[in-house]
Amino acid sequence: MNVLEIRNLTKTFGDFIAVDNMNLSVNEGEIFGFLGANGAGKSTTINMISSLLRITKGEIKLLGKDIVKDNKFTKMNIGIVPQDLAIYEEMTAYENVSFFAGLYGLRGALLKERTEEALEFVGLGDKRKALPKSFSGGMKRRLNIACAIAHHPKLIIMDEPTVGIDPQSRNYILNSVKKLNQMGCSVIYTSHYMEEVEEICTRIAIVDHGKIIAEGTKEQLKSIITDTKETWIGVKNAERLDLNALKQISGVNSVRLEEQTVKIVSKGEINNLNGVIQLLIRDQVEISSVEEQAPNLETVFLTLTGRNLRD
Amino acid sequence: MNVLNIALFEFKKDLRDKRTLLLMLAFPIVLILILGTALTNAFNNGVELDDMNLLVKNTAQSAQLQSYWNGFAQSIGKEGVEFTPAEGGVDGKKAVQDNKYTAYAEIDDNGIHFYGSSRQTISSNILQGMLTSFADKYNLAAAALKNSPEAADAIIAGEASAGSFIQESSLIPDRKPGSIDYYAIVESTMIAFYACMSASWLIRGEVKRKTALRLAAAPVGKLEIFAGKVIASTLINFLCILVVVLFSKYVFNANWGNHLGSVFLLLFTEVLLAVSFGLGIAFLFKDDAVNAVMMIFVQLASMFGGAYFPVDEASGVFAGIANVSPLRWANEALMKLIYNDDLQAVFPVMGLNTAIAAAFLAFVAITMRKREAF
Repeated sequence: MNVLEIRNLTKTFGDFIAVDNMNLSVNEGEIFGFLGANGAGKSTTINMISSLLRITKGEIKLLGKDIVKDNKFTKMNIGIVPQDLAIYEEMTAYENVSFFAGLYGLRGALLKERTEEALEFVGLGDKRKALPKSFSGGMKRRLNIACAIAHHPKLIIMDEPTVGIDPQSRNYILNSVKKLNQMGCSVIYTSHYMEEVEEICTRIAIVDHGKIIAEGTKEQLKSIITDTKETWIGVKNAERLDLNALKQISGVNSVRLEEQTVKIVSKGEINNLNGVIQLLIRDQVEISSVEEQAPNLETVFLTLTGRNLRD
Repeated sequence: MNVLNIALFEFKKDLRDKRTLLLMLAFPIVLILILGTALTNAFNNGVELDDMNLLVKNTAQSAQLQSYWNGFAQSIGKEGVEFTPAEGGVDGKKAVQDNKYTAYAEIDDNGIHFYGSSRQTISSNILQGMLTSFADKYNLAAAALKNSPEAADAIIAGEASAGSFIQESSLIPDRKPGSIDYYAIVESTMIAFYACMSASWLIRGEVKRKTALRLAAAPVGKLEIFAGKVIASTLINFLCILVVVLFSKYVFNANWGNHLGSVFLLLFTEVLLAVSFGLGIAFLFKDDAVNAVMMIFVQLASMFGGAYFPVDEASGVFAGIANVSPLRWANEALMKLIYNDDLQAVFPVMGLNTAIAAAFLAFVAITMRKREAF
């Protein structure tokens, strides 16, 4: 059964089309990765699902009900973890969670129970009386999640929930997402960290210019680009590199430099490694390693959109 | 229920905003204390009669006039007016100019010539009033003397009791606010209007804090959020005003009159006006401009409303601007209520405050409904 169904969804701001006739479905019990560079239309789509923005055209259904016609029902069943921290710094962790849960109709003993449960879930049970201003970035992110889950939503939308936090907190959050999923929640997950998406998402959609350009499991997406290969060449003196000359080599689709590694995506059927090495030797670039990479989501994204996820 | 929950949460949140609370409580109390103390003299229009010194050159030959004059002099002398006879070649006018005397009077059979000090205007006005009063009575007595000497004596004797001349020339109304009384009123109304500053953040703050997204995603109406916030903001600001009024009444002994309930009711409508005005401005102007517009309006309204100095005698453009300051309306109504027991004076102001508040609230509610987000 589909938890979420998006049909022919369009959103315009004046002449600008932010979301263009989008179709998408999220199955019950899956963690759905929603990938797109900045300005691709992800946040606009999420804001329409969460009723913050009005739909220009098309429809969104949650658990089979139209989010415009059955607005209250759909809101009751969605939990939002915004990209920006959406908490009150001057109120305690408990008061924050309790306030937002109260907006979903929870009262009395049930409200108390759910608030404490949410705080325990994100590991802030012993910090319930503390003010968020005394929290680390990771703790604030976890409180941000607690505020979205106390009312037991069927669908949780997490927009970049791990931005700017330490690896320990990131692991904690990723494990929490998996745990929520095991408890029966469906999750829409957006992130700029491709490895996170690879680790936890069961299905992924790539959005670009307001349209879904690819959708499927990790394996399905990677199979799209079997006609390309990626070669990573470690170098010691990257300043001598002539990236434009590398791009001119036959079969090269794209070249990017990340720290001391040149990442070259080429057409699968063309063997151009010899030409690449010769060029590097000509430019007196010292090579430290050469690796042929199996296709990953990053490569898929780059191939399909022509830009990095962090662009 | 949601409205109450939102109001309660907002109320708690505001109580923890120590900076704003300090501004709302300490600022008016300090202003009352400083301005009320520093400007005490500016509000003290009364003059001690002991201060008045009249130089008199009496060349009248009429025994009757001399007799009446002596009676008059004795009478007001008891009130502390000091008489100094102008001896020989003393130039009385110059002596007054040199501020040696409050006034100089020349008395002869034709009447009294009076020269008052321009430096001691109130004192010399009082003396002039006394002498005018004496002259009127003497003329009346002189006319009566022609037909009935007993009647003439009765006129003079009957009016010659201590203080009667003074009472007739009183320049000061019986009830007027002292400086502490004045500033207690105007600073309280000013700080009531300051509520517009925090109110301008009621919705803007949620957007800035990003909590607006959560609120919009929750199954509560925008109007419920709006109502909860307005209720909380009005109550917390009104509570601050209550504290300021009661503090000024019991610690500074400021006069708040005999109708404290009506005073609070008027201040409540002013807080409501301020809250709705702040919200309205926040929806009328772009984010960066809101603070500037608010600050300019509040300061002008305070200044022209009399929060820093009295504006009773304003004229021209100044008076025109002063008349549109909500603080001026409130201050005038409170003065009339406290010092003239004029209960009727507060009702039009309460009505006006409520009507303007309703207009702003309606504008904000409609605009919020129309907007996609907050």
